[in-house]
Amino acid sequence: MKISIISVVVACLLGCESANYAPPVTPQMAAATKGRNVDWLREGRRLLVHRCIECHTLPPLWHYSIEDWPGIVNSMSHRASLKPAERDAIIAYILAVRSIQE
Amino acid sequence: MIPTNLRRRLTLLVLPLLMWPATAALAGARHFTFLYEAPTSAPGSIELENWITWERVTNSEQSDQIAFRHEIEIGVTEHFQASIYFLDWFYQRDRTQSGFNYSGSAIELIYNLTNPVIDPVGFSLYQEIKVGRQHLELESKLIVQKNFGPLILDYNLTLEAEWEQQRLQERQGELQQALGASYELSPRISVGLEFLHEFVFPDWRDEEKIRNVFVGPNVAFRRQNWFVAVTALAQATDTPDQADFKVRTIFGFGF
Repeated sequence: MKISIISVVVACLLGCESANYAPPVTPQMAAATKGRNVDWLREGRRLLVHRCIECHTLPPLWHYSIEDWPGIVNSMSHRASLKPAERDAIIAYILAVRSIQE
Repeated sequence: MIPTNLRRRLTLLVLPLLMWPATAALAGARHFTFLYEAPTSAPGSIELENWITWERVTNSEQSDQIAFRHEIEIGVTEHFQASIYFLDWFYQRDRTQSGFNYSGSAIELIYNLTNPVIDPVGFSLYQEIKVGRQHLELESKLIVQKNFGPLILDYNLTLEAEWEQQRLQERQGELQQALGASYELSPRISVGLEFLHEFVFPDWRDEEKIRNVFVGPNVAFRRQNWFVAVTALAQATDTPDQADFKVRTIFGFGF
């Protein structure tokens, strides 16, 4: 019985973890987004995983459309104390991830 | 009755803060009320948190205590935040007496070491120094957190040292471990469980073998620049002088 419960819990955790909520930046991402600077995308990823989880967990990036993401990030940028350049870096990173997922 | 000077102090401090318009940035929203989370506030963000904790002891004396805490939380750097508990006070009532008391003020510092999303585990270190009338308290915590998608697992290991009474002669230690799980039903609502396991050492001795276990559900709601989180705990052990029930509500909003 105990083993079954533990197995179910571990399976649930692995299931949640299997989706990579903030994949590392790759040169392919930069190339797919009209040659965006890799460092700029890395900064966007760093800000995403630090600032956004102060209030909520990260949704899978495919959960919203490419068209929706800029508005979503913009609507929460004030709450997350994001400067315009920081907000743009997060959007650039999300769109870069989405562009290689398409 | 509330002493006049305390009433005046409370009015001056609390009223303007409660009336502060909730129009600005939120430093972070809580998922738990008896546990701390590893992420720290964004640099430059400022937030006011108001805590209310109701505790009921149902032994022969049957007493209630409602404790209030008013905290300002400031994001200093991307990984470091500082807080001031500028006023901790409580109302206590039992069969023979009742009244308000000031319990102290404190400084709290949290340093984040690793991230709970991209690192294997998120770690933060916590230190609190609290000073009151005939009261000194030091509290250190290790905060461990891992996010599994919409699920947050959180663990706090706390060591607390207290000195009380005249010349701070009476001393006590406490070791606490707390485990929490919170599942986000949506970006605005999360529900979960909190579990506390306390080891109390009066005079830093373990002769009385005081062990307390509390467990109960939590719910958190966040919107715009504010959040509210509530946890209800019941004592799973049978320690006579400890609260049988605790309910804590934290309401926070950003400036």
